Amino acid sequence: MSDLLLAVGILCAINTGLALLLMLAEAVIVDTRDRSITINDTQIVTVPGGRPLLAALKDRKIFIPSACGGRGSCGLCKVTVIEGAGPLLATETPWLTAEEQKSGVRLSCQVKVRRDLRIRIPEELFAVKQYQAEVATLSDLTHDIKQVTLKLLDPPEITFTAGQFVQIEVPPYALTDEPIYRAYSVASDPCQPSQIELEIRYVPNGICTTYVHKHLKVGDRVTLNGPYGTFGLRPTGRELIFIAGGSGMAPIRAILLEMARTQNPRPCRYFFGARAKRDLFLVEEMRRIETELPSFRFIPALSAPDPDDRWEGETGLITEVVGRHVTNAAQAEAYLCGSPLMIDACIQVLREKGMPEENIFYDKFA
Amino acid sequence: MKQSKRDDIIQGQMRPGAITRDGMLGVDRRTLRDILDADDAAVRRLGLTHATIAARLRELRAAGARGLGEPIRVDSDLEIRVDSVCGKLPCPFGHPGLYPKEFVEVSNLRTGERVTFTQLNIHLIGTHGFYEGLDSPFRQDPETLARVLGITA
Ligand SMILES: Cc1cc2nc3c(=O)[nH]c(=O)nc-3n(C[C@H](O)[C@H](O)[C@H](O)COP(=O)(O)OP(=O)(O)OC[C@H]3O[C@@H](n4cnc5c(N)ncnc54)[C@H](O)[C@@H]3O)c2cc1C
Ligand code: FES
Ligand SMILES: [Zn+2]
Repeated sequence: MSDLLLAVGILCAINTGLALLLMLAEAVIVDTRDRSITINDTQIVTVPGGRPLLAALKDRKIFIPSACGGRGSCGLCKVTVIEGAGPLLATETPWLTAEEQKSGVRLSCQVKVRRDLRIRIPEELFAVKQYQAEVATLSDLTHDIKQVTLKLLDPPEITFTAGQFVQIEVPPYALTDEPIYRAYSVASDPCQPSQIELEIRYVPNGICTTYVHKHLKVGDRVTLNGPYGTFGLRPTGRELIFIAGGSGMAPIRAILLEMARTQNPRPCRYFFGARAKRDLFLVEEMRRIETELPSFRFIPALSAPDPDDRWEGETGLITEVVGRHVTNAAQAEAYLCGSPLMIDACIQVLREKGMPEENIFYDKFA
Repeated sequence: MKQSKRDDIIQGQMRPGAITRDGMLGVDRRTLRDILDADDAAVRRLGLTHATIAARLRELRAAGARGLGEPIRVDSDLEIRVDSVCGKLPCPFGHPGLYPKEFVEVSNLRTGERVTFTQLNIHLIGTHGFYEGLDSPFRQDPETLARVLGITA
């Protein structure tokens, strides 16, 4: 009996040793021979083996959205790998639905290019480019939201649709020793392709927002890439309900500026939630759009106005205000942007008012 | 208690660049075990437990979440804003699952003091008695938490 136990013990030890050796070999001996990546069956790029797919594609100027620098903590860098990826990693599974896992969706920052790959990406990512820009203006919209205007230098113009976002690169500074990327919705009208405006809300100890709020200066150079995303007005002709809070204003403003310029006649209401008057911004611009678009109404709502505010507008949480104003939403369409807490609560209100799920579009900043 | 091999591995997960870019230890050069022991002693000196502190943080987070991303008055002295940013973080102690990068900013309007904690902090405190290392951007000093948030035994 003890001989048998000893034999099993030795076998286990050998097995463990071999497994460790294999892992070590994989970590140390990286096969860097060139590999080909076939994209959407239309384009083939050659990249050195061993690199994460996200980085390999970026080297070939194909940009996949990514907000965590390839750390597996943002879940934005999904691509479909049809052939050549290894097994799904534990770092990927929390981000992928069962359906996505079945159809080969992977986090491109976690997949290493070890063999020739066949992948599928949304066509619009081919239009994504990297831009060099200069900070043209930097101003406070509220105590914690800054407006940043970036003048594009190279290439000098960007084509985007209202509601899309770009990623800006934060260079190494006190809070990060390597460049990181973060997503920001473009707040300006797409008819101005030579400069874009962003509205950036400070996040305590946040790497990018601390950089923008405490370090960035007019004249600084900024690298960005984009445009990304499918948030934007659907051409249905339905009545529109926009709901936002804080920097969620950004993509809605871009949509409204475009609607005003093109004299879009769709009936539309914009509910904007803030705490007190000092947290409201761009009110005059919204009032101007009201005069340009007779079918548009801006409805700011304060949850806790200061007595000095002498506020005579709507009060209460944005959900309460939407609940009071919207009686039947069955035929309307809604666009929501901002905090996930606000978005989830508003979706519930809209559903209660009869709005079908497929008519609700949102951009969660998380 | 003496630092174990497992503690070494966990401490590795807390270094800059492993889970978060800044790590969870700040300038702290102590072993994880020493950090845990020192904060455990501090919590006991306050007559509290890690579970009580985590429960209060959870309670404040729930109250603040009613502001839907904007600041909201809670109790007589506290103003709380709960919001999330893009991403989720795993527990460095190896628990399965991911914690949203949600932050809870609490201002004590009476004293002017402010603390910011995250969902991961609530888990780390309640389950592991871990408050992050000194000067870590998300270090939660037990005495400061107790004072600013009014946590009593
Ligand atoms: C499509 C899209 C569009 C967006 N548009 C906008 C926009 O127009 N305007 C805007 O302001 N934002 C926008 N965002 C959000 C933006 O991309 C960033 O997520 C946000 O600005 C925060 O970035 P940051 O680098 O400052 O914070 P980060 O550094 O990414 O995150 C900070 C958070 O990380 C967590 N954390 C870090 N370290 C620790 C630790 N040691 N212990 C515990 N927790 C820790 C905490 O929760 C902390 O609050 C958008 C996001 C998306 C996805
Ligand atoms: S880049 Fe963030 S998960 Fe891949
Ligand atoms: Zn844990």
